[in-house]
Amino acid sequence: MHEYEAAVLKALKSTKHASIDEIVEDTHLGRDAVLWAIDNLAKEGMLDIIREEKEQAALTDEGKAYAKSGLPEEGLIQKLANAGQIYIKDLDPTQRSIGLQWAKAKGFIEIGGGSIKLTQAGEKALGKETVEHAVLEGIARGDVQHLQKQHADIVLELIKRKLVTIKRNNAITQVKITSKGHAQDIFDVRKDEIDRITKKIIVNREWEGKEFKRYDVRVDVEEAHAAKSHPLRDTINQIKDAYAKMGFREVSGPIVESSFWVQDALMIPQDHPARDAQDTFYIEDPQNIDISDNMLLNKVAKEHERAWNSEWKEELAQKAMLRSHSTSVTARFLYSLKDIASYELPIKIFSVGRVFRNESLDYRHLADFYQGDGMIIGEHLTLANLFDTLTTFYSLLGMRTRFMPTYFPFVEPGVEIQAFYSKRNEWLEMGGAGVLRHEIINAAGKRFSVLAWGCGIERIVLMKNPHIKSVTELYNNGIGWMRKR
Amino acid sequence: MAGVSFNKTYLSRLVGKSIDFDKIAQQATKMGVEFEGADSTEMRFQITANRPDLLDIVGFARALKNFMHKSKKFSYKMKSSAPYLEINVGKDVSGIRPFISGIVAKNIDFDDQSLKHLLNFSEKFSDIFGRHREKLAIGMHNLDKIGTVLKYDAFPDQEFVALGEKKSMLFSKVLETNKKGIEYGDIITCHKTQNCYPALKDLDGVLALIPVVNSERTKISTSTHNMFIDMTGTSKYVVDKAADMFAATLMDMGAYIYPVKVNYGKKSNVFPIMEERSISIPLGQIDEVLGVSVGFNNALSLAEKMGYACSYLNKKIVFKIPSYRLDILTDQDIIEDMAIAYGYEYIANMPIYSTQTGMLEERTEKNRKLSAIMTGLGFGEMMNSYLTSENENFNKMRVAANQSKYIKLKNSKTGSITMMRTWILPSLLKNFSLSVHEKMPQKIFEADVVFALANKMPSEKYHLSAAMADPKANFNDIKSVLESVLNEIPGEYTFRAAAHESFIEGRVADIVVGKATVGFVGELHPEVLSNFGIEEPCFGFEIII
Repeated sequence: MHEYEAAVLKALKSTKHASIDEIVEDTHLGRDAVLWAIDNLAKEGMLDIIREEKEQAALTDEGKAYAKSGLPEEGLIQKLANAGQIYIKDLDPTQRSIGLQWAKAKGFIEIGGGSIKLTQAGEKALGKETVEHAVLEGIARGDVQHLQKQHADIVLELIKRKLVTIKRNNAITQVKITSKGHAQDIFDVRKDEIDRITKKIIVNREWEGKEFKRYDVRVDVEEAHAAKSHPLRDTINQIKDAYAKMGFREVSGPIVESSFWVQDALMIPQDHPARDAQDTFYIEDPQNIDISDNMLLNKVAKEHERAWNSEWKEELAQKAMLRSHSTSVTARFLYSLKDIASYELPIKIFSVGRVFRNESLDYRHLADFYQGDGMIIGEHLTLANLFDTLTTFYSLLGMRTRFMPTYFPFVEPGVEIQAFYSKRNEWLEMGGAGVLRHEIINAAGKRFSVLAWGCGIERIVLMKNPHIKSVTELYNNGIGWMRKR
Repeated sequence: MAGVSFNKTYLSRLVGKSIDFDKIAQQATKMGVEFEGADSTEMRFQITANRPDLLDIVGFARALKNFMHKSKKFSYKMKSSAPYLEINVGKDVSGIRPFISGIVAKNIDFDDQSLKHLLNFSEKFSDIFGRHREKLAIGMHNLDKIGTVLKYDAFPDQEFVALGEKKSMLFSKVLETNKKGIEYGDIITCHKTQNCYPALKDLDGVLALIPVVNSERTKISTSTHNMFIDMTGTSKYVVDKAADMFAATLMDMGAYIYPVKVNYGKKSNVFPIMEERSISIPLGQIDEVLGVSVGFNNALSLAEKMGYACSYLNKKIVFKIPSYRLDILTDQDIIEDMAIAYGYEYIANMPIYSTQTGMLEERTEKNRKLSAIMTGLGFGEMMNSYLTSENENFNKMRVAANQSKYIKLKNSKTGSITMMRTWILPSLLKNFSLSVHEKMPQKIFEADVVFALANKMPSEKYHLSAAMADPKANFNDIKSVLESVLNEIPGEYTFRAAAHESFIEGRVADIVVGKATVGFVGELHPEVLSNFGIEEPCFGFEIII
C-alpha cells in the first residue's frame, strides 16, 4: 500500500466518512494526492465514493474571447465614439452580425440610412464595462456559484447568446469507509528504507544492505517547460535559410522610411489609396525625411508624370512613414547599384522584416507584421524564371504553389502567389510577384530585367503550425502558450 | 482591389446563356479577376485597380466574351460625328475643377437591373478610380429635360432642387444638409474664400452642383430613353477616358452615341474621343518576358482574347488599343495581357543559371547566436510589437519621456499606439502581466529593434532584453545570466552602480564598455510591477547588441 493510500485510510478509520476537504486537512496531503489515493482505494473496494450531480456555468470559446477582449457591442460603441458615425457596410463581420444587434437591443445606438450613431444611453455606456462582460470575466476567474445566484438573469441571457454553457459534473461529496477498508491493516512506511540518496550515502556506501523506498512511478508529476524560440522566429529562420540555400544574399533597410522609398520609387501613384492616412502610419516627429539626390528625384518625377498623367510632388515623397511593405528595402538596393556591369549577374537578394498598417486594433487586427521580399537583377529574366524561383523557394518550406494573374503598380506582368493549404483543402494567397516595371528600372538608371516578389510571413507560420489558430496568438506571447506550443 | 456584385440573370443575358456560372467564375480567375463567391442571385468579384472597365458588368461581359473567343468586339463607332450638345466652359472654374467631357446616348431601353448596374458602375468608378469623386465625378441626366447649350463654370450661391429633395435650396445649404452634400462637399473649397461653386447649367437653371449632386429636374429612371452624361475632374486624361468608357458601355447596351462639344473660349474638344492608339511590339519581346516561344499565329489569337485588333507590320505586331482601356500606357501593359491570355499555368518553370552562394547578414547570425544562448539559459523567446504608447514605454516604467528623443506617430487609429518603442523591457513586463496565472519562475527574452530620434533623424538599433519573474531569485541571479551572455560577446564589460527610476535604488547597475554605457541590469521597482499588475519580484536587463 502506498503511503498516500495508507494516510487516507487511516484518517477514515477514525471518522468513518469525510469530505475531500476534510481528508486533505487531516492528512496534510495535496488535493491531487488525496484524489489519487481515494480512486485507488475505491477500486480495491475499501471505500465508497458518494457523488452528487452539480450544474455549473462555464464559458464557451466565444465567451472566453469576449471575456478577454470585450463584447462586440462594447467594441462597437467605442469605435463609434472615435468615429462619430459609421456606415454599416464598413463594419467588420463580427461587429456587423453581433455587435450591431446587441448594441441596438441595449439602446446604445440608432440605425438610419445605412449608418449608425451613438444614443445617449450609448454615450453613458462608453468606457464602462457592461454587466454581461463583468459576469463573463467572473466566470472566467472561476467565481461561478456566487455569480449564478447574484446575476441569474444575466447568466441566462449569456446562455442564450451561446457565450455560457451549463456543464454538469459529478462532484464527490463524501467518502465512506467500507467494512473491507476497516479490516485492512495499515503498516507504517518502514523507517530504515532509503528515500533521497545523498552524497554521503554514495561515497560511504551506506546503501549496502538496505532497502530503497519504492515510488509510485505512475504518479502524475509537474510539467517541465523547455525554453523555446518563438514559432514566428523559427519560420523566419527557415525562410532565410531557404533563400540562402538558393544563393540569395540578405539585405535590410530602415523601418521608419520616407514615402519616396516605400512608394514613389516603386511607381505607386501619389494619389493611390494605399497612401491614405487611413492605412498608413505617418510620423509626427520627424515629419519628413529628405531625399538629397536631386538627380534621382528628377528621374522618378519624370517617370511618374509619364506613367500616371499627373503632377508629381516632392513634398509628398518626403513624408516620413512606417514602411507599409518591405519592398522599400529591395528598391533601395536596386537604386544603390552603381556600376552594374561590374557585378556578376544575376544578383539575387532577399529581405525579411516588419511592416505596418494603420489598423484599429482588436483580436483579429494587428498593426505590425512580417513581410519577406526577394529580387533578382539580371539579363533576359522571364516569368518562367520567376515561377521556377518561387516554386523552389516554397517547396523548401514544404509548400506547393501556383500562380495567378493580378495587378500591382510596380510589376508588369503581376502575379499572385498561392499555396495549397491541405488542412482546409484550398489555395491561399501568399503574396505578390512580377517583372519590375521599366519605369522603375529606368529611374534607377539601369537597363536590366528585374524579378521581384513579396510575401506575408504570418500566413506561412499558420500553415506550418496548424495548432496555432490566429495571427494574434503569435503576438500575444502568452507564456503558457509558449511553454505548450 | 474593389468588390463588385453582379446580378446573375443580367450577367447571363450579357455573356450568353450557354456559359454557366462555374465557367464564368473559372474564366474570370484566369483573366486576373478574383471570384469571391456567389449566392442565388449575385456573383461577387474583386477587380484590380488597373481595370476600371471591369467594374462595369457590361465591360466585364465584353472582356469575358472576348477572352473565351465568344465574340470579337474590338472597336466602337459613333452614330454621327456632328455634336448634339455643346458645353461652354467659363474661366472661373479653371483653377477649381478645370476638366469636363460628356456624351449623349439615345435610344436606350433600361430595365431595373441595367439601370441599377449602370449607376453602380458610375458610383464605383468615381469612388475608386476617381478618388472619391475628387479626380473624377460622373453625372447622368435625362437628355429630354435639358437644353443643347450648357455652361460649366464657377457660379455664385444660388438655388436649385437637388436630386431627392422636394424644395429648392441654396448651394451652400445643400452642402450643409443634403446627404451627398455632406459626403462630397469637402472636395470643393472655393466657396470658403469667395462666393463661388462649380456647377453645370442650362437656360432653365442648374443641372448639377459639381461634383456633389445632380438636379431633381434632370434625374433618370427606367423610363429614360435619352441621356446626357457629364464627366468632370482634375485629371484631363481620366476625364477624357471616362467619356470613352461610358460610350463603349452604352453602345454595348444598344444605345446610339452622339458627340458633345466642349468649348474653352475659342478652343474646343469633341467627346468621346474614341481614338484608337496603336502600340507595336516585336514578337521576340513578348517571348522574352514570358519565357516561352509564343509563335506568331498564336500571338494574334491571344491578342484577340484580350480585346486587341492586331496587324503585322515591319516584323512587329501592331496592337490597336481599345478605347475603353485607360490602363494601357506602354508595351509592358500589353505584354502583361499577352501573358494572361497565354495562361500562367502553361508557362513552364525555367531555372536561372547562377553559381553564387547565399549569405545571411551578420546581424542575423549574431541574433541567432544570442537567442541560442538565451534559450539555453532557460529563457523563452518573445516577439512583441514595435508600436507602443508613452504610457507603456515611459509612465508605467516610472521614466520621464524626453520629447526630442523618440519617434511619435501622427495618425494612429488606436489609442494604445502612439510611438515607436525605445526599449524592449516594457514589452517583456507586459508579457508577464498577461501571464500572471502561469507557473513561476517565468523567464523570457527578446532580441530585436528599438527606435530613437538622434539629431532629429530616426535611428534603429538592436537590443537584447531579458526578464525574470521569480519569487526565489535576487539581483545576483539576473546578473549571472547577463554575464554568461556577455562572455559570448566580444568586449570588456564592467558594472557601475546606477540610478534608474524603473529599478530599486541600490539594485541597479549600468553595463559599461570603455567609457560608454551600453545597458543596465537590475531588480524592478515594486511600483513598476504594480503598474503592470505583476505580483512577483522581477529582474531584468537590456543591452545594445
